[in-house]
Amino acid sequence: MPRGMFRSKTLRRVTKRVPGGTTVKRYEQRKPRVAHCAITGEPLHGIPRKLPSDVAKLSKTKRRPQRPYGGVLGSKASRQVIKEEARETQ
Amino acid sequence: MKRSKQVFIHHKSLWATNSVFLGEGEVKMLYEIGRICVKLAGRDAGKKCVIVDVLDDVYVLIDGETRRRKCNVAHLEPLTTSLPLKKNASHDAVVKEFDAINIKILSSTPKKATAKPVAKRTMSKQKKSKSKSVSLKKKSTEKAVKTVQA
Repeated sequence: MPRGMFRSKTLRRVTKRVPGGTTVKRYEQRKPRVAHCAITGEPLHGIPRKLPSDVAKLSKTKRRPQRPYGGVLGSKASRQVIKEEARETQ
Repeated sequence: MKRSKQVFIHHKSLWATNSVFLGEGEVKMLYEIGRICVKLAGRDAGKKCVIVDVLDDVYVLIDGETRRRKCNVAHLEPLTTSLPLKKNASHDAVVKEFDAINIKILSSTPKKATAKPVAKRTMSKQKKSKSKSVSLKKKSTEKAVKTVQA
């Protein structure tokens, strides 16, 4: 029986082949889900699916696209928002 | 810059070309030289630019708050204002015209590479601290000798 802390379903069970030739069960943290656009709900591009501790080690440009609303809205939605803002200011 | 043509254009061709039918046979070109637009895509999105040259039906050359490069017309949102610019106007001329409309374009100059700052050592302080530690050690050994003798 695994100890209590390893019975949780928040951990992924991974089978590993060790140098001794046996297969061994190991526990891994689950990765977060893909980021989605706040307006359209489409999955966003340019945002890596990594644990927060790994994302913190990346440079700023590698965490999200370098454009307005990057990481929040997809390209379609952000274009529409920028269009509406431009038409309002006229 | 106002350009009007007294021409009848079939409604289907209006979707093919980038022109606006203003009624009574008057047609105004949307993506013409001097037209101020807002860029929709890329890392320059949301910034104002002006059309400096029309390359073909699809591509135009833009400059202004954005980088000076060719851009697809589908990635631009044209505004009502237009500037009196000549074809292939220089960046300085574009900046001047934008100043007249109270839009300031900041020019960024790359930083010059400077030598790495080297930490200066203060030798005098180190010498003083060394002499102090030596004197303390001597005193402690002297004390120990005295106690043993006693």
